[in-house]
Amino acid sequence: MQEFFGQNALYVVLAVVLVIWAGIFGYLYRVEKKIKKLEQQIGKP
Amino acid sequence: MALRILLGLWLAVVIVLGLGLPMVAEPQHWYDLPIVPGLEEKARIIFFHVPTAWLSVVGFVAALVYGIRYLRSRSIEDDSRSAASAGLGFLFCLLATVTGAIWAKSSWGTYWNWDPRETSIFVLLLIYGAYFALRSAVEVEEKRASLAAVYAVIAGVTMPFFVFIMPRVIASLHPEPILNAQGKIHMNTAMLLVFLASLAGFTGLYYWMWKVYVKVEQLRRRIQQPTGG
Repeated sequence: MQEFFGQNALYVVLAVVLVIWAGIFGYLYRVEKKIKKLEQQIGKP
Repeated sequence: MALRILLGLWLAVVIVLGLGLPMVAEPQHWYDLPIVPGLEEKARIIFFHVPTAWLSVVGFVAALVYGIRYLRSRSIEDDSRSAASAGLGFLFCLLATVTGAIWAKSSWGTYWNWDPRETSIFVLLLIYGAYFALRSAVEVEEKRASLAAVYAVIAGVTMPFFVFIMPRVIASLHPEPILNAQGKIHMNTAMLLVFLASLAGFTGLYYWMWKVYVKVEQLRRRIQQPTGG
């Protein structure tokens, strides 16, 4: 694997970009969970 | 809405340019990127890794500023803004650490070798990790907000030492193609433009994420304390 990344350095940068978007995705997921929790609280009488 | 679509397009263009512009030994065209000795194609990481580190600094500074504002105004809104800033600062600090480790594996052969840059960002993660431990340990809202604000100010004051001073005082393997020891920018126009466009795009994204989080916190307070305004 290290040989592959050594010969195709662009994929290292691509991996970096994907990690950043995964982090932002995780943040969105967390915010959505918070919103769902609030929706459940509003739904309660 | 139009601004958000523009931001999405902006970042998409930054990614395409950052990954796609040709990298040549002697740039001839306006769109040619120079080959950075020792880094080659991996130099493109600067368009994505550095903005995450930049946003962690933005987040921690904003947490400090809103911490001071809370201590002066005692407005719980400022506490939310400070906490949201620290949260985003921590997220981007973590992303800078992980993306840096991926780069280190391909360049240095190991994900982690306690380089001054790695050590300082690790300490920074510990400092702000403790901030969230502190927040979750105190149940009374006003007390939590006061303690967190004081901690955010203290942590924010130590942050420049770990980000800007320590890695420059101690010899590091970390490349310094942006602002080196001489304080000069070593990038050609194309590289600098993509880099600045990336910084601007990611800063816009940060602001959007921050606003969403603050709004959710405002809603939560309104729902849980309907008479509290």
